[in-house]
Amino acid sequence: MVSLEHYVALSGILFALGVYAVLARRNAILVLMGIELMLNAVSLNFAAFASYLDPERVTGAVFAVFVITVAAAEVGLALAIVIRLFRLRATSNVDEAAELKW
Amino acid sequence: MGAEHAWLLAAIPAGAFVVLALFGRYLARGGDWLGIAAIGTSFALFFVVLADFLGTGSGLGPFAASIDWTRIGDFSFPMGIYVDPITIVMLAVITTVALMVNVFSVGYMKGEPRYWWFFAVLQLFAASMILLVLADNLLLLYISWELVGLCSFLLIGFYWEKRSAVEAAKKAFVTTRIGDVGLLIGIILLWREAGTFNIQEILHLAEEGHFSHTYLLVAMLFIFVGAMGKSAQVPFHVWLPDAMEGPTPVSALIHAATMVVAGVYLVNRMLPAFEVVDETLLVITIVGLVTALLTGFMAFAQTDIKKVLAYSTVGQLGFMFVAAGAGAPEASMFHLMTHAFFKALLFLAAGSVIIGTHHHQDMGELGGLWKKMPITGTTFLVGSLALAGVPPLAGFWSKDEILVVLDKQWGPWAVSLLGFAAVLTAFYTTRLFIRTFLGQPRDAHIAEHTAETPPVMTGPLVFLAVLSIVSGLVVFHEVGTALGFPGGFGEFVFLPTHGPHAYEFDAAFAGGSVVLAVLGIFTASWFYWGGRLDRSTRLAQWQPRLYDMLVNKFYFDELYQAAIDYGVLGFSYVVSWFDRYVVNDTGVDGSAQLTGYTGYILKHLQSGRLPHYAMSLALGVVALAVAGLVMRG
Amino acid sequence: MITDVLWWIFAVGIVGAAAGVVFSRSVIHSAIFLIVALAGVGAMYLFLQIEFLALVQFLIYGGAVTVLILLALMLTRTAAGTPRGVSLTGPQWPFALLVGSGLAAVLVGAAVATAWPGDRGEPALLPIGRVGERLFTDFGAAFIVVTAVLLVALVGAIIIARQEGSE
Repeated sequence: MVSLEHYVALSGILFALGVYAVLARRNAILVLMGIELMLNAVSLNFAAFASYLDPERVTGAVFAVFVITVAAAEVGLALAIVIRLFRLRATSNVDEAAELKW
Repeated sequence: MGAEHAWLLAAIPAGAFVVLALFGRYLARGGDWLGIAAIGTSFALFFVVLADFLGTGSGLGPFAASIDWTRIGDFSFPMGIYVDPITIVMLAVITTVALMVNVFSVGYMKGEPRYWWFFAVLQLFAASMILLVLADNLLLLYISWELVGLCSFLLIGFYWEKRSAVEAAKKAFVTTRIGDVGLLIGIILLWREAGTFNIQEILHLAEEGHFSHTYLLVAMLFIFVGAMGKSAQVPFHVWLPDAMEGPTPVSALIHAATMVVAGVYLVNRMLPAFEVVDETLLVITIVGLVTALLTGFMAFAQTDIKKVLAYSTVGQLGFMFVAAGAGAPEASMFHLMTHAFFKALLFLAAGSVIIGTHHHQDMGELGGLWKKMPITGTTFLVGSLALAGVPPLAGFWSKDEILVVLDKQWGPWAVSLLGFAAVLTAFYTTRLFIRTFLGQPRDAHIAEHTAETPPVMTGPLVFLAVLSIVSGLVVFHEVGTALGFPGGFGEFVFLPTHGPHAYEFDAAFAGGSVVLAVLGIFTASWFYWGGRLDRSTRLAQWQPRLYDMLVNKFYFDELYQAAIDYGVLGFSYVVSWFDRYVVNDTGVDGSAQLTGYTGYILKHLQSGRLPHYAMSLALGVVALAVAGLVMRG
Repeated sequence: MITDVLWWIFAVGIVGAAAGVVFSRSVIHSAIFLIVALAGVGAMYLFLQIEFLALVQFLIYGGAVTVLILLALMLTRTAAGTPRGVSLTGPQWPFALLVGSGLAAVLVGAAVATAWPGDRGEPALLPIGRVGERLFTDFGAAFIVVTAVLLVALVGAIIIARQEGSE
């Protein structure tokens, strides 16, 4: 029987992978992909909670809807920024965009 | 008009001070007449107060009056006056001597700069001193104590163009200050336990056993330290000889008759409390004895006539303390009174000599002045005999009384020591007289220009000489009652616990005193009379180290200077090192540098690099998660 | 029974795809792997019997987001193509690995160890009607705010990505 724990563990692993991508990858777009992974893991988690724990008031599913929406908006915006940065710098390497510093 | 108006005796000279200070320089003759009028009025008023005091039905009942001076919450500080026999004696001395000094100063200070200021400060001093003896509480007493110290400072440094005068004034003030701190501590200690500053209340509390023995002992010792400072007892004696830098009338008034006896007054005033912790009495006696002996020796080697008199004063103050330590205020105050008269006389006479010889005061330059200054010489002789203790002059009676009570309280050892001091007194007094007035003049030029001083100066000398002769006789019961007192001196001034003490003639002691005086006089004459100076010089050569010790006043000053140089300055080096290296370099500069360095390290957090920031985020979350787990588990 | 096996296949698939996203040495490959992973998540929603969410997932992620990402990748390529020599993994990957594995351990451990209250043991069918109801009644205000967010994001993206000189 696939139980709640399976879903939560799965989303946990996805989330951890996303964290690694955000921390260790150089290309800005790869970082964004990592963020997407994290957000999806979270949505999956909420949806699992809604289904297993609280089907009367499907709070988790509603939350997942919101997460997906905001994630979409955010990725659009972030990519716009990356493109802009690329035009200025001719690079999308996060290590090299280090202006805001001492 | 009665005893309750005694405060006027202080207020009138105080008012004169204000007028003189503000307008003195514009007044005719510098306002000296105003000063004399003020102090003269006080002198006259004293007799009114005295008559009222003696006339009140209770006879010797003390008089007290006070007003609430200030209130702080539940505490009120009443200020008032308290008049009892001790006060009366002090007032007599102060007003008389102050009047004589004021008159004398008209002649002595003639032509001096700031003439009007001199009289102004003399009035302030008189006012403060009178206030001191009238004060019914320790706070008021302390205030006037400081005021007289201030006047002393101002007057010693009157010739402030002279460096030595300035130094002497500073030395006097600082030395007495050390004593004053002790006095203040003592006052505070007493107030803490008693809850009041009022002297009589404190004395009653002490007698009832309100204070624990150790507490009262410590408090009274501190008070005695204050008395020691002001009255120049060893080891605080160093300021008095230097105070001779001031004009001679000042020496007569302040450093012989009045201010320096404030310590004696204080001890006598608080004697009932000292009696409760009678270990203090032994301390007082020993201090007095040591002082009398040491200064007696020091007076030997001095050649400046004022310095001899200064050491003599310190020694005689020692005599007064010895009497107080024997629990006999009648003897102590009696000697205070007689000494005030003849010592003031001697100082004023010395002043007369100084003016007469046109400012020479070293015995090495004088001699044979008798012919040229007969009145001064005669009065000086009277004063000297009184000081030496020759009957029937005043000094004999008071000194004799001291020896008697000393024997009664402490026994033969104390009497022998003080007796020896008395011999020394007679010795150096005779030496002083002989070398100044008798024999051949040492400097012909000076001798030729010497002349007797005008009556405005010799008048007070004669008056004081008369007092030096007769004032001793008040010790007799008959004389006392004839004057309106309940009896002789001992029946007027006494400790309540001891009761009045009528004078009993003790032939042994009287005879002994005469022998001591004669011994001293004779020995000195043998050394110094008739130009047999070579005997004294041979003596000096025989024991050069001893002689040096005496001339250098037992090196007290050098010791104190070394203590200051090494002790105080050395300590200040340590403190300044601490301030420079610890407080400044480490603390102030150090914290600034630390801040800067920390900033330098921390700024690397702002690398501007995204991965770094993300990493910080992640680490923060991890830390939170771990903390959460730990707290829950 | 069958569902469980299928579930496991899909689960492994998702993890593998995600690993591909994260560890791949080519950006394009990562993008492709991402599409696979997101589709897998959509399938998971189906397993949970929330059809609505699966629909939304496929539509938005599979459609819009992937396209966006690929487009951005095209636009930000360097002139000489993606040089194979430059590593895509930054210098702090050991720490990241540490953090990631630690996180995974904690989360999985928590998932397994916790006794979830009200656990039904099996997924329930969540009809779209119920979701919609909740969305528009209790979360109505949030819904409207989110629409505003979308609008702002849209406008903002346009402004940021605009070409210079085309005022």
